[in-house]
Amino acid sequence: MFIRKIFQKDQYRFTIEWTDGKISDYRLSDLQRQCTCAQCRDEKTGQPLVNPDSIDDRVQAVRIVNVGRYALRIDFTKGCSKGIYSFSLLRTLV
Amino acid sequence: MKFVLGIAAGKGGVGKSSLTVNLAWCLKKMGRSVGIMDADVYGPSIRKMLPEDTLPFNREEKIIPAEKKGIKSISMAYFLKEEEQAVIVRAPIANGIIKQFFHSVEWGNLDCLLIDFPPGTGDIQLTLMQEGSLSGGIVITTPQEVALQDVSKAIALFHQMQVPVLGLVENMSYFQDPLSERRYYPLGKGGGLRLCHKEGIPFLGEIPLDENISRCCDEGISLLDGPQENKSIQAFEAIAKDIWEQLVSFEKLEGNYLKKIHLLWK
Repeated sequence: MFIRKIFQKDQYRFTIEWTDGKISDYRLSDLQRQCTCAQCRDEKTGQPLVNPDSIDDRVQAVRIVNVGRYALRIDFTKGCSKGIYSFSLLRTLV
Repeated sequence: MKFVLGIAAGKGGVGKSSLTVNLAWCLKKMGRSVGIMDADVYGPSIRKMLPEDTLPFNREEKIIPAEKKGIKSISMAYFLKEEEQAVIVRAPIANGIIKQFFHSVEWGNLDCLLIDFPPGTGDIQLTLMQEGSLSGGIVITTPQEVALQDVSKAIALFHQMQVPVLGLVENMSYFQDPLSERRYYPLGKGGGLRLCHKEGIPFLGEIPLDENISRCCDEGISLLDGPQENKSIQAFEAIAKDIWEQLVSFEKLEGNYLKKIHLLWK
């Protein structure tokens, strides 16, 4: 599955139109809570290592770029920006 | 850049670089504009096989790649003092070099950029997959079991990164006695084809053990300039034609998806 369109919806959310026609909205703070990097998630159990409440609901992005043809990387205005958000993960979140 | 193609193998020494260079010659003969990125930072061999007519140079912030008869190339070999000098750097430096190859080199409007991967499935391979939006990957192996086992890992790497595998090339498949025309299979027969059946990927063809291939690579000349009845030329040309058709049809099938995403927040 690939991305046909991506655009900013409002201050805190963006929208993806997938190649199968599905349209999904993502809130940046929700994605930061899903960060899969080694500091935010236990490698073995997959459990989050960061308290979800510590993530600001009003976190915004600086930019969103693709990683190869399988994922997105989001530069957040604060908090962890190390995560790689694979298309398959993004599809399971909505 | 229209297409970016990765050429990978599990092992070293199975013929990635010679396949890359010969595919470049074939694609050029088909009228395509081609470039080669030698991503084997620690063991670059493209420069030897494709000695430049013009050296790479800096223009403002960009690197203009080397060129040989219209084929553009960049390789770590251009940044060494001597040909034999070893590249001894840690992974972050090597990854930085790869990123520069993608972003600082002025590739121009190429039909196809061929990336000669380093052997294995490590850090640099991941960087290549993440920095470049690969249109497809091809894997190359020799027929013996120990090489086949490792090439499966390269196939898995492409699959995991959602890069379509255009197929497998079997190198050093057979030796044909020029007098009797009898074929010998010193490394075993049919291993590549069996693996393709198992993995469900296309078999692109077999390349014979042929002194002309190694001689042309060592001398830095094009195999295609030799006698056209050579089986190796026919094999490489058939592979080039096959992958080109696949790349074009993939593009049509996948439709208009975004290859490059750069959304700046307002």
